Amino acid sequence: MLNRRRYIIIYLVSIALVIASICVYLTQLSSTVNQNLMSTVDEISRHDVESIEGSLDNAYVRLGSVAKRMEVYDVHTLEEVQEQLNLESASSALFNAIYLLDSQGYLYSSSMVRFDPDEHAYDEILSDGREKFVMLYDDANGRLETTKESLIYGIRTDGMNIGGRDFVAMIGRSDLSIIRDQLLIESFDSQGISSVVNDKGYYIVSASPATDLAGRNNFYDMLESGHLEDGVTIEEVRRNISEGESFVINCVTADDERLVLSFAPVEGTNWSFIMAVPTSVFDQRFAPFITMTAGMLVAVVLVLFIMMIVIYNFMKRSVQASAESAARAEFLSNMSHEIRTPLNGIIGLNHLMENNLDDEAAMRGYVKKLGNAAKYLLSLVNDILDVSKLQAGKVELAEEPFDLRVTIDNVCDMQREPMLEKGIKFVTEADNLSYPYLIGDELRVSQVLMNILSNAVKFTPSEGTITITTNQILTVSTEMVATTISIADTGCGMTPEFCEHIFDAFSQERNKISGSQKGTGLGMAISHMLVSQMGGRLSVVSELGSGSCFTVQISMPLDHARLASMPERISGATPVPADRLQGMHAQGASDAASSQGSNAAKLSDVSVKLLIAEDNDLNAEIIVSILEKQGYETTLVANGEEAIRAFEASEEGEFAAILMDAQMPVMDGYEAAKEIRKLNRDDAKNVRIFACTASTFAEDRNRALESGMDDFLAKPLDVPVMLRKLEAVKASLVSAE
Amino acid sequence: MRLHHLLRKSVAVLCTTALAASMAFMSGCASPQNNGEKVNLLFKVPRTGHDVVFDDSITQIDQVIRKMADEFVAQYDKADVEIEVEVFEQNQYDDAIANSFDTEHSPDLLYGDYFNMSTYIHSGRVVPLDDVVSIAVRDNVYDYLWDISTIDGRIYMMPYLARQNILAYNKALFEQAGLKDFIKDDEISSWSLSEWTYILDTLAANLPEGFYPMMMYAFSSQGDTHTMTLLRSAGSDFFDETGHFNLSTPEGIAALRWLQDGVDRGWYPPHSENLEIEDCSSLFRQGQLGIYMVNNASIERYDGTVGLVNFPGPDDEGCATTFVSGFEVFDNGDEKKLEVAKDFLRYVYTSDELMDYAAGTLPASKASSERYGSQIEAFDLFNENRKNVVDFTGSNPDTRAVREVFYEVIHDLLMKNITPEDAAATIDQRCNAAIDEGVAASVLHE
Repeated sequence: MLNRRRYIIIYLVSIALVIASICVYLTQLSSTVNQNLMSTVDEISRHDVESIEGSLDNAYVRLGSVAKRMEVYDVHTLEEVQEQLNLESASSALFNAIYLLDSQGYLYSSSMVRFDPDEHAYDEILSDGREKFVMLYDDANGRLETTKESLIYGIRTDGMNIGGRDFVAMIGRSDLSIIRDQLLIESFDSQGISSVVNDKGYYIVSASPATDLAGRNNFYDMLESGHLEDGVTIEEVRRNISEGESFVINCVTADDERLVLSFAPVEGTNWSFIMAVPTSVFDQRFAPFITMTAGMLVAVVLVLFIMMIVIYNFMKRSVQASAESAARAEFLSNMSHEIRTPLNGIIGLNHLMENNLDDEAAMRGYVKKLGNAAKYLLSLVNDILDVSKLQAGKVELAEEPFDLRVTIDNVCDMQREPMLEKGIKFVTEADNLSYPYLIGDELRVSQVLMNILSNAVKFTPSEGTITITTNQILTVSTEMVATTISIADTGCGMTPEFCEHIFDAFSQERNKISGSQKGTGLGMAISHMLVSQMGGRLSVVSELGSGSCFTVQISMPLDHARLASMPERISGATPVPADRLQGMHAQGASDAASSQGSNAAKLSDVSVKLLIAEDNDLNAEIIVSILEKQGYETTLVANGEEAIRAFEASEEGEFAAILMDAQMPVMDGYEAAKEIRKLNRDDAKNVRIFACTASTFAEDRNRALESGMDDFLAKPLDVPVMLRKLEAVKASLVSAE
Repeated sequence: MRLHHLLRKSVAVLCTTALAASMAFMSGCASPQNNGEKVNLLFKVPRTGHDVVFDDSITQIDQVIRKMADEFVAQYDKADVEIEVEVFEQNQYDDAIANSFDTEHSPDLLYGDYFNMSTYIHSGRVVPLDDVVSIAVRDNVYDYLWDISTIDGRIYMMPYLARQNILAYNKALFEQAGLKDFIKDDEISSWSLSEWTYILDTLAANLPEGFYPMMMYAFSSQGDTHTMTLLRSAGSDFFDETGHFNLSTPEGIAALRWLQDGVDRGWYPPHSENLEIEDCSSLFRQGQLGIYMVNNASIERYDGTVGLVNFPGPDDEGCATTFVSGFEVFDNGDEKKLEVAKDFLRYVYTSDELMDYAAGTLPASKASSERYGSQIEAFDLFNENRKNVVDFTGSNPDTRAVREVFYEVIHDLLMKNITPEDAAATIDQRCNAAIDEGVAASVLHE
């Protein structure tokens, strides 16, 4: 929980850092893009200003050329001067009218008009000593012939004397429309508009020019109709333009368009060049960067995310591997302990037996203990093999009809004796088992239930209770029976932490209560894997000190064939007293012993010969000894080839059965069985061949049967089982006779 | 800054919305009910000075147009009308009108000079307005104005006011030149061609250096109609019965020769072919020019220093021309707009108040003339002189094309590059070709 919270905090902090980084990055990117655009604006402004200044210089040069020509023309009177100006003006592509200003302040026009000194103020413009000027035509300086928007250029012409009259300046008037087109420059895909205004705010160049003084627009009116941002005032703008400053402002027009206005002075004038760029242009320029950045960030985040997942999974696997390795090491340690313990007992017992060969009573005790140790070793090995096969997915489940009620009864019966020994109260509530006839793997179901029930018995103290309940639901559409079997005990219970890992392989809890109850720790893992493979679920609810309840939920197909003949349902919950259980067991045991004794008496006189194929000398000796002690004649061979030869050499029907070790040198048991079955003699087809092997898996059984063998005896040999099967062979011979 | 801007914008939007909602609520009480259909009309008007004798606040004609629009919208109940009045420069007619056809900026209504507006009638865009002209409206407007508003028997323009163009002479220069006998107050004089010749020769002979007898210009087409009027001086009617130029007649050629001879006789400023009408206007205003054109609205600025005289010819009474201004309605494919635009004109022409706003020059409305004629400068003189008004357009469907030809010919004539006969032939040929092309291309709205 703590780790999870820590991971969440780390995750949130990481996200916050990423977002903060993105914000900082975008801010910096926006700033860079804006600076870049403003640099572009500045560059365009400089270019345009230079273009304007070049145009103005050109006008001055042209005006100067006219002045020079006027001095060389053969003109003497004022009218001749004006006529010559008229011709110059008519031939000029730039000037609509040309004027000469005499030293008295009279202004003479190329249109023959003469303006008195008091009718204009153009003479005052040059009074400050400047050599040239340009200004927007404004009738405030005296109305000339036109009301059209015009530029007035002026140059000083000191020393010009025509017809005895001194002319101090030459002035040219040019319609704004003539130069407007060459000065109007669009940029940023026609979204950026350049304009030029004078210090009074009247446009020299604009996108929507007026042609008449009455209709001209004023830049300051435009500003006033909208508003300026960043606390800038119109007065500041006016002052900056008057002082020839370069500056930038942001404004919003009356049409709610946001503009960036860049101002640059035009040298030699009181004009300011203005580049107006809608902020949408900046946004448009910025948008691709945003898109690319967003894309890159998404890609980076995605890659990081994938890397984190990979690293997480790797770490998780590493942790799991470490944990499993540790568990496996612990398991091996446990196994070593578990195996060494009974081995130690066996070796010890062997030593005791050697020293007490004459003490029959002691020998019986030692032999019994030796048998228990050997059985424990066998169960240990079986569990390990089961786990290995389940983990490798090599366990194949059988699908055969079986009676679940019988299965449960058998499991219960097998644990009744231990329960009686410990004085455990056993309660069965099996009345809900409505559909006992199912199709499935009875053996594995039995194994699961046995694991759970034996655990319950193991961990339930004396006077405790074990309750088994069942419930079934039939899904009509699928004809599947969902069976729930719960086994509850009042044992030592488990800690919640252990409950989470109880079904893991190699896990085993050792607590104070069950400290003495050692096992392989594989039973629950095997059960869980088996139930999972059956498509079911095994769960546990447990409370330390109060007991545990294991629940098996599996769905199996209904066996229709036997459904019709379903016996009465098991009646309700019926506690079975321990003493009755003991009685039932005693009765069963007595019946079995009686039956066995009777059969043995009838067959004792029959002589049966067996062929034993076993490469291990000890095992061969043991089995020969056991069998001969039981009255069997034996012929021992060391491999499959010898077994074939021995069988060939025997008389027909000499051997009642062959005990064939599966794995032997020269020729294994499978091949030998095949070859024997191929022999051309009658008994080769029907002699009973038992596979004797430590390979106990289903495929091993199948392989043995496929090779022609009749039955399977698992090693270590269960002697009573082996003897029962051989007795059956003997019985068949007797009946045949 | 962006956040601040957004915040401020949000507040502004909220305030605007609230203000608009409250205004809508308030105006809902005062405005007439309408069917809710929104109709936007674009009303274009050239920048034109205008005076009204009873309202000193009016200096531009677009002020009058806006007043008309406001009053119309306020009382109109057939639709939710909004009229945008757009002012354009006088020399940008084509950009404002013809070049905007089939765009969102195409005009629905135009107020302007017939001189420029008549061209658009032949584009097929201008709708006939006969259904607007009720009997009362027709009776209230002078017939001569209806005549020049009518093409092929249908009224395409609604006259609102007129300016009568005649000539004015500088009394001081006349007196200085010994022409005191020709100075007449309170009348529009009429001089015979010989008297004109005498007066001009006298002025040329007696005026000092830098002073000139009469206007003349040919550097651009501006003011060329006045030059055309001078070509009636020898008895030419200028146009034939079909409206074509007809100067290749003895009278026409005589007038051209009279005009050309004036160059050598010193009647005009030197190199007048390089002058524009505004140059001559400036010369007249500066007192350097003896005779210049004026109209009934512009004489006020000379404050009695000038006398009035008709253009010479075609008879001894002389002649005058009239610039009429009025309305046109354009068909942009929207029936509702057409309906509202015509309703606008019906409203204006039945409103005495709005028709009276023409009372700064010569109102088209007889009633307005009666009410304010006494307050209009020289109203009676010009009203009386209407009998001498001649048509200077000749129902030409493409006036601008003709103008582009005419001034160039006069320019050559004044430079003596061509003879009067050549000039007459060139004008007749080229100008009539332009007229014929205009007629061929003419499409009148049904």
